[in-house]
Amino acid sequence: MFTWIVKLGRKFAMLGVLALLGALLCATMIRFAPGYGADERELDSRLSQESRDAIRSEYGATETLPHYYRRYVSGLLRGNLGTSVFLQRPVAQLLWERAPLTARTVGFGLLAAWIGSSILGLLAIRFPNAMLNYSAMALTGFLIALPAAVIALLFVFWRAPVFLGIALVTFPKLYRYQHNLLTQAQSQPFAFAARTRGVSENRILFRHVIPLVWAPVLALVGVSSSMAFGAAIPLEALSDSPGMGQLAWQAALNRDLPLLTSITLCVTVLTVGVNFLADAIGQRKSS
Amino acid sequence: MWPSLRPAILLLAVNFAASSHAQAPAELHFCLHGEPKTFNPLLVDDEASENIRYLTGGVLIRVNRQTQALEPGLAESWRVSPDGRQITFQLRKGIYFSDGSRFSSEDVAYTMRLLMDPQTHSATGDAFRSGSGTVVVKTPSPYIAVVTFPAPVAGMERLFDQVAILSAKSPKKEQSVLGPYYVSEYKAGSYVLLRRNPNYWRHDAQGRQLPYIDTVRLDIQRNRDIEMMRFRRGELQLVNRVDAQQFDELKKENPAAARNAGTGLDGEELWFNQAASSTLPDFKKKWFQSTDFRRAVSLAINREDLARVVFAGYATPAFGPVSPSNQFWFNAKLPAPKHDPKAALALIAGAGFQLQNGTLKDSMGNRVEFTLITNSGNAAREKMATMIQQDLSDIGISVKVVTLDFPSLIERITRTFDYDACLLGLVNTDLDPNSQMTVWLSSGENHQWNPNQQTPATAWEAEIDQLMREETSLANEKLRKAKFDRVQEIVAEQQPFIYLVNKNALSAVSAQVIGASPVALNPQTFWNIDTLRLDPTQQIGSKQ
Amino acid sequence: MIQRVFRGVSWSILAIVFACTLFAEGFTHYPYARQFRELPNAAPSTIHLLGTDDLGRDLFARVVYGTRVSLLLAPAAALLATAIAAVLGGLAGLRGGRLESLILACADLLMSLPLLFVLIALRAFLPLGISPLLSVVATFVTLGLLGWPSSLRVVCAASRNLRQSDHMLLARATGYSNTQLLFRQVIPNLRPIFLAQFWISIPLFILTEATLSMLGLGVMEPLPSWGNLLRGCEDFGAMSANPWRLVPLLLLVITVICFQLILHSSEEPA
Repeated sequence: MFTWIVKLGRKFAMLGVLALLGALLCATMIRFAPGYGADERELDSRLSQESRDAIRSEYGATETLPHYYRRYVSGLLRGNLGTSVFLQRPVAQLLWERAPLTARTVGFGLLAAWIGSSILGLLAIRFPNAMLNYSAMALTGFLIALPAAVIALLFVFWRAPVFLGIALVTFPKLYRYQHNLLTQAQSQPFAFAARTRGVSENRILFRHVIPLVWAPVLALVGVSSSMAFGAAIPLEALSDSPGMGQLAWQAALNRDLPLLTSITLCVTVLTVGVNFLADAIGQRKSS
Repeated sequence: MWPSLRPAILLLAVNFAASSHAQAPAELHFCLHGEPKTFNPLLVDDEASENIRYLTGGVLIRVNRQTQALEPGLAESWRVSPDGRQITFQLRKGIYFSDGSRFSSEDVAYTMRLLMDPQTHSATGDAFRSGSGTVVVKTPSPYIAVVTFPAPVAGMERLFDQVAILSAKSPKKEQSVLGPYYVSEYKAGSYVLLRRNPNYWRHDAQGRQLPYIDTVRLDIQRNRDIEMMRFRRGELQLVNRVDAQQFDELKKENPAAARNAGTGLDGEELWFNQAASSTLPDFKKKWFQSTDFRRAVSLAINREDLARVVFAGYATPAFGPVSPSNQFWFNAKLPAPKHDPKAALALIAGAGFQLQNGTLKDSMGNRVEFTLITNSGNAAREKMATMIQQDLSDIGISVKVVTLDFPSLIERITRTFDYDACLLGLVNTDLDPNSQMTVWLSSGENHQWNPNQQTPATAWEAEIDQLMREETSLANEKLRKAKFDRVQEIVAEQQPFIYLVNKNALSAVSAQVIGASPVALNPQTFWNIDTLRLDPTQQIGSKQ
Repeated sequence: MIQRVFRGVSWSILAIVFACTLFAEGFTHYPYARQFRELPNAAPSTIHLLGTDDLGRDLFARVVYGTRVSLLLAPAAALLATAIAAVLGGLAGLRGGRLESLILACADLLMSLPLLFVLIALRAFLPLGISPLLSVVATFVTLGLLGWPSSLRVVCAASRNLRQSDHMLLARATGYSNTQLLFRQVIPNLRPIFLAQFWISIPLFILTEATLSMLGLGVMEPLPSWGNLLRGCEDFGAMSANPWRLVPLLLLVITVICFQLILHSSEEPA
């Protein structure tokens, strides 16, 4: 029990360190990116010199990076994520407003993609029928080749929810991975051996093949969640769905340091957290 | 409607379109093209916030967007002192803010004080700043407000069109307004819902209180393709600033909805980097500083083609900094822009450039090539740049087109000066050239080709400085116009900005909206929002 | 049987497409950048096989040359990303322990960073004067360098499985070094996974470039690529009026499906 707590504590510490590292890396990236601190408003010919200086100081371009790190971390410890330069509102408030929508979209999207891809993957393995196989192949090929913008437009056109768009983007990749893993596992010697001994196909699939691919498939959970969030960014931005993806997009285009840093912090916590979870379950299963 | 997409729809076997059905709208519905960054009318500096300010703010003097003349707003009448420093407003009586508090000269004084406070950093306020010193507002009676500026402000009355009056006393601060609507709901990233101000002061000829439409829903929608799609489907009733190609399609489908208000105010222009502190090699600096070189480039650009191909004919070749639609300030005597590659070559030969085997070389034998930067995401600008690339290759100049995201572009044109030439459209928010002071003064920050000069680098820039300074101190509009006409002539001669086209003001108006008459000035379609009506009998959508 | 037919068809389609890219000059006599300004948005005709784009450029020439850019660079980027994932993932799975945690942490970190931002700012980082071709190469190299983390986890999980398998134990007992194990045992055994990863990455990179093009930050004008040709797909109205503009999308879909069919038949015992 005690070792278990220590292990968990270590994982959490690691999660915290990685998240902070991600946020600081992101801050460094933006700080040194070309165009940092340049604002569209500077082209407004009515502005006086004082107002221009005020705009420039909003970005804190004179502040050194280590100083920014210190300020950010100490703010973080007090639960203060700073103020968005672009939207002029507290970052925490922005994230709090937007997170539920994206959590729902990405969550449902992933769920739909996983259910769809698992069913199709299992069907394709259990009933190795050329027609089924090739239709699945054509469908996934078609979906992989559709640009995000086209998917976003089609979804607005059909008034379909954004989560289905995310499902459509992640589904083909998930299907390909699962299909590969299953095919590979099924062609292993033990499956042949079992088949020659007259073990039923269902039994081979559910008792032998699936337990074997369990761990690598779980590894996909983490990957697929960051894949889904990655897909949410252009989808939300293009269809103007007011979630985190849209926020991240605007933050990137406007070099919004506090906002993008905090978004990265959240995304890192999620990605790393989900991966840890998947690893933990995978290890327990395999041990 | 879109036959080519049907197969894709069938392929996925789920047609969500079936759930769509037309409803009679209870509200006017259109889009903002970005997140409104502020609801404080004094801090407005982006189009979305400006639209909200127009819909919610009450102003003392209104510029009629159709006639471009001044009209009384909250002020019944006004008088500017002969020295151009003071304006006296006679306010309307019996007007209330949306929250019920009474409007008086105190509110005007409060608004002006806040607006002119240097800590506010308001672009609207900065436009009034002509000299150092404080602005004094006196309120001899609840209905008279006297604003005195430290120095004359040329064209001051027009600037009040941008000043939405705030309530001095209301606890709701900027949420209590004097305009036709108030902000009732705002969901960040999604929409702004406006409701009718029950205390709005204007009434129609029959004595009925305006506005007619109860609610206005503004969706935040950046994607213009989606916006047009929703308009076609009947979800939106107005679209501002329609892209020329989209407009062309709409016009074929539904000619009544496609409204062309003629040449707009905004122009597109190209300039060469002449900044002394730039890191460009000396020979390049020499080209860009040569008037003949700039004029030759201007001559080689086929503006007719730009207007016809990029803007589907919904643009006109630009003469200069002022669009012909700016009725008062446009200098009608400027020569029409020409396209003449031969003349361009002749002109440039005089400056020592030679065409050898299809490549232009300067007197030192350097190949004439430059990069043209523009902002990414603006398809029309990218197309213009590509066409200019081909036009200039006809006189042996090789152009590389590079699109940069906006912050990187701004960094290059305002800080590092590491670029050759830039293609951009600078937006005119105001008809009066005074708001462009920092563009024309050589010491100005928006004097893009060579900003922040200590002393004017050239004689013609010195002359422009002189003219602009004289112009701003004059109270007589005719005399001001004469000075600015001369500025326009110098710019046409020297081509520091090579003006390309003035785009038409294109918009889409659904047949449901009665009383709409789109204009060139912003806000194109809803400038007369308080007198617009919705026709409940009209079927939604474009297919009527 | 049916497999062989599909495979043959896929190979021949890909061969034709690749031949087009390599011998583009032979297929079209129009330069891809030439603007026929009197004929913008023209319909297909005998003069312009696929019509012209909105600046009057021959669309067929642009598709052919655009294929060259996308179809040569996207696989190169995919190869780069897969190679990095293979080496790092194989190593992580094989050695396990601290190294595995470290590599996985790096991958997680890289996956969480807003990489789109890197791509947005990339062009501004490069000097302005470089040629369009060089800048598109830089874009794809960046895609390759940043695109490995998603494959890494899969590779790592699979090679971890392999580590615990019997024949690895045997190989270790025979005295193979870790490097030898990685290159002789792990990588060959995980070949199907790498292949799958590689084929999936190709369309992904082409599409990332398309997304960048839609932002106006992709391949620089006037150089064509599938990405900037796909840009037109945003506008439904224009697409329905000029359905032949969908040809680049169609070509991309066909190519992707062909890649998948070949992959599919190569991984199954014939």
